[in-house]
Amino acid sequence: MSVWEIVELARHPDRPYSLDYIRRLAPDFIELHGDRLAADDPALVGGVGTWHRRTTMFLGHQKGRSLKERVGRNWGMMHPEGYRKALRLAHHAAKFGFPIVSLIDTPGAYPGAGAEERGIAAAIAQAIMEWFRIPVPIVAAVIGEGGSGGALGMGVADRVIMLENSIYSVASPEAAASIVWRDNSRKVEAAEQLQLTSREIVGMGVVEEVVPEPKGSASADYDAAARALDDALYRHMKPLLDEPSSQLLQHRYDRFRYIDSLIRAEPHFGPKID
Amino acid sequence: MIAEMPRDEVAIQGGPLPEILLPTNCPGCGIALSLDELRAHNYVCTECGHHFRLGADVWVPLIADQGSWLERWTDVRSHDLLNWTVPKRYQQTVETLLEQGLNEAVRTGTCTLAKKPIWLAAFDFGFVGGTLSIVAGERLARGMEQAASTGTPYVLVSASGGARMQEGVLALMQLAKVNAAVGRLHDAGVPFFSVLTDPTFGGTAASLALLGDINIAEPGAAIGFTGPRVIKQATYADLPPGFQSAEFQLAHGQVDVVVPRTELRPLLAHLLEMYS
Repeated sequence: MSVWEIVELARHPDRPYSLDYIRRLAPDFIELHGDRLAADDPALVGGVGTWHRRTTMFLGHQKGRSLKERVGRNWGMMHPEGYRKALRLAHHAAKFGFPIVSLIDTPGAYPGAGAEERGIAAAIAQAIMEWFRIPVPIVAAVIGEGGSGGALGMGVADRVIMLENSIYSVASPEAAASIVWRDNSRKVEAAEQLQLTSREIVGMGVVEEVVPEPKGSASADYDAAARALDDALYRHMKPLLDEPSSQLLQHRYDRFRYIDSLIRAEPHFGPKID
Repeated sequence: MIAEMPRDEVAIQGGPLPEILLPTNCPGCGIALSLDELRAHNYVCTECGHHFRLGADVWVPLIADQGSWLERWTDVRSHDLLNWTVPKRYQQTVETLLEQGLNEAVRTGTCTLAKKPIWLAAFDFGFVGGTLSIVAGERLARGMEQAASTGTPYVLVSASGGARMQEGVLALMQLAKVNAAVGRLHDAGVPFFSVLTDPTFGGTAASLALLGDINIAEPGAAIGFTGPRVIKQATYADLPPGFQSAEFQLAHGQVDVVVPRTELRPLLAHLLEMYS
């Protein structure tokens, strides 16, 4: 499969979205809404459900299925209110000791004037910093598109895994092409250069595991894809449940502080350390 | 308590500034420029107040007391991790810039400002658009960790297009790496003064630059997450004049103060006095 074919699979309109997984992982899921400041961002869903006999906080980017729902959910692109809602629910989870599962599937944060006016940069910055202070276990999974700061704003976790045909990138191929060539039609070349496939990302040490998808990709069998995701998420979550929170937070810090260490370990790659 | 060093007694620059390449006329008002006059005014046009972009090599003597700068981790180097070849080999881009005397998109070290010790980090827009890279992130995180453990105030001057495309997802991960370190600074109760200059965008705005205890912006500086070109491409929206300017960010609650560069150093000295 070419890199661009993987990008298209990751974005495929038939691919299961966050709610498709969450409802299979926790059939009693109750969605909770709102940032308690101004709004509810439908591009991010959150709520509680019972998962492996434990109340768990689920968060996930949600794209729409029909055109109407796509517009309503803003194609999974969060506004500042979404990051504030995520933090509210994270603190809620911390208060009750619920572990957190975060599903990532976004082209990026919303690149519009309204988002800028309401402080999207600071909202993402605050979220990324605040995740390091949430004293409950967090496991994140990239299930489709992991686009830029918009994805990382939901992706600071103790373990991060990726579905086989998902992508994770510093910018969408279109945005990268627009930045590097000033021409977003060179997206295919950009995708190839960015090394955004799950296999390449796990090779860089940025995620812990690539979860195989059913034959014909996750779109072909939602139940089997959800079972594979469930199994991998819980395998990573289980050991975290017994860790004291101070140790958990220290390990989370170290995970990101030294995330480029696989590259640095190579004599000819990465910054030389003095 | 009366501040030991009143603001008007603090020089507007720590030492003589190096010469920079300038156009013959000011892009703001068209007046013919005098290099000596501009240097004495921190490269702010005396006629219209236009702020010229400065590299880290100018920011350091502007902020630091003369002779106090101790730069750290200068031999941490970028490498081509992704085998990036188009439109230009990344390795070659980096080597050319190093030969020109630039040393990555962030330079950091310790110095004093009006005799008070600080950690200083300055972005260099001339190095691949001041983009956040592994090396930049490493220098920032190490400096912040040391500032947190020694209780030394941290001053950041940003000018950056965001994360560096040519380092892929590892450049994106620098946002988390540096924000974790910003959290350490905050937890240690160490003051963090963030100076935002033109332009500060993308991953740099969405990480440390807007997380200062006090965010200080230069007049007219463009500050935001998504650049205006991309916003127009994505939404077909017409952006009003002044969109994403420092003044816009002040009105929208993202920065605390907008001060001209000629008043920056006395302001920082005064803040260091008040927050120590």
